[in-house]
Amino acid sequence: MRAIDLHAHLTPQCFQREVLAGKMWHGMTSAEGELFNPRNAWTPEQRLADMNSLGVDIQVVSTNVAFYKYDQDVAITTAIAQACNNEVHQMTVDYPDRFAGLATLPMQDIKAAITELERAVVQLGLKGAMINDQINGRTFDEPEFLPFWKAAEQMGALLLIHQARPTLVTQRTTRYHLPNTIGNLVDRAVTFASFVFGGVMDACPALRICLAHGGGYTCFGIGRMDRGWQMRSEARGNITKPPSAYLRRFYYDCLTHSEAALRLIIDTVGADRVVLGTDWPADMRIDWPVSWVLGLQSLTQEEKELILWKNLERLLGL
Amino acid sequence: MRSIDIHAHLTPQCFIRATQAGQEWHGIRPGSVRIAPRAVWTPEQRIADMNSLGVDVQVVSTGAGFYYYDRDARTVAAMHRDCNDEVHQMTMDHPERFKGFAQIPMQDVPTAIAELDRAVNKLGLVGAMIDDKVNGRTYDDPVFMPLWKAAEQMGALMFIHQGGATVVRERSNRYHLPNTIGNLADRAVTFAAFVFGGVMDACPNLNICLAHGGGYTCFGIGRMDRGWQVRSEARVHIPRPPSAYLSKFYYDCLTHSEAALRMVIDTVGIDRVIFGTDWPADMAIDWPVSWILSLESLTQEEKEAILYKNLEKLLGI
Repeated sequence: MRAIDLHAHLTPQCFQREVLAGKMWHGMTSAEGELFNPRNAWTPEQRLADMNSLGVDIQVVSTNVAFYKYDQDVAITTAIAQACNNEVHQMTVDYPDRFAGLATLPMQDIKAAITELERAVVQLGLKGAMINDQINGRTFDEPEFLPFWKAAEQMGALLLIHQARPTLVTQRTTRYHLPNTIGNLVDRAVTFASFVFGGVMDACPALRICLAHGGGYTCFGIGRMDRGWQMRSEARGNITKPPSAYLRRFYYDCLTHSEAALRLIIDTVGADRVVLGTDWPADMRIDWPVSWVLGLQSLTQEEKELILWKNLERLLGL
Repeated sequence: MRSIDIHAHLTPQCFIRATQAGQEWHGIRPGSVRIAPRAVWTPEQRIADMNSLGVDVQVVSTGAGFYYYDRDARTVAAMHRDCNDEVHQMTMDHPERFKGFAQIPMQDVPTAIAELDRAVNKLGLVGAMIDDKVNGRTYDDPVFMPLWKAAEQMGALMFIHQGGATVVRERSNRYHLPNTIGNLADRAVTFAAFVFGGVMDACPNLNICLAHGGGYTCFGIGRMDRGWQVRSEARVHIPRPPSAYLSKFYYDCLTHSEAALRMVIDTVGIDRVIFGTDWPADMAIDWPVSWILSLESLTQEEKEAILYKNLEKLLGI
């Protein structure tokens, strides 16, 4: 039994070396990158020891969301992205059987984002990129992003969608960790809807997208989106089928913290669309993810194998 | 088979009459409110539609468009008295067919308590329908505690239903998403505000129904529990994880999904799920009784509990 984790983050060593010496790194300081979490300081070797303990064979490593920096000057963000992506690349070169990687991209400039995605995928061998749910307030149905989706589709790149604060809950409350525990899942449902209602999935039939955190509230809430599509002409402007017809166009990680929720996702999208994602090393991660999946009584052995490794083995050629 | 609908709205005839006569009504100018076709129906026309749908009783709530929490409290209190008097009259004219929820001016908690008291104890209404937030304040704000205490003591049912902009509106106003995602997101935040804020511990007998199946609450409870486990700020008011409070609430069946409704039932228990249709909105369940009766994953006993037994017991009707 293998285990391949699509949702595992990195705070780059190149950043830590500078900021922990009291210097700035492309304008960033030690207040960023979640350095309060000791695991974020770990070297690749320490990470591997923890993966061995957890039973995770491969992490598809993504640089932490603090490094999105979509609101900065594009030259700065591009320099940050290149440095992060080079470090992830080096991990995959040093430990080709244990690490694959996702790039971070300067999404505020679509041409620069395409250039860096191409460098990351074609030259560095990364598997795709992790991007936010929105770019400076703009959702992914905006026409300006279409060249990026076309480019990602042509490269066969996988795009992992993962929020950064603030989420949509933040405007109402910042208490009780709700901007994360509810907000992440709201943001993801809006992103699913932006891709689908905006016509992106029709325009790019081979585009590969994974919605982190189990797709957020997408699968549970799809019935109301379908009803909205039936009743409101503005919901039918770009698509001729209801949104539920597009559920299987996406991948979803298993990061639900709920067996019932994971079961509903599998029943809604099919087990061939659900992949292992743990959110290592965040405090909101699954603590013992392989054990958790293996221990779920409502999943068949075949479903567990698809989630733990078979789907990602096929999708990423690992 | 009886059926009692907890989620059915009213555009008051007193408002329609005034605006159709070109008169201002409690500060609302004629023509400034969109009125859906079925909303102008008289109680008798409404009953004809209920007969067609197989709905025996509607617990009528004046629409969310009449919250007006951002306006002068005295003006809105007078408006809400008119709304509540009209709902009361419907329950007097057709006692076997209508029960009612009040509107209460939530921007002024003492006035809201006074109107809830009048509505419940003088007019015989069953409680009140309120928004997910009041001018940006969520229900864990201590300013609201006297209302929860009063509602608990009166045995009033608080029906939570969004109005105005939901949290999704800030990101996208397209494709009806502020409704189709936003309503459900708002409801989950309200569940969390009540629970994490300690209201459910302070008011153990407070009856709350979360409309739209509680929104994303049941599906998302695992992540809320995880947040409670790993973050101290989530444990400030409650000694148990939020999932321990799920069965303190009622949930209507307005999910537009059998799988989602099944999950709500399995998560909170069949005795906490009640019939709610959103009549006469375009986002209503079209043939709600038929829909419930046709669901293959529900037992006959579960269908009866949802359609009428739970509400018979809760409301004493």
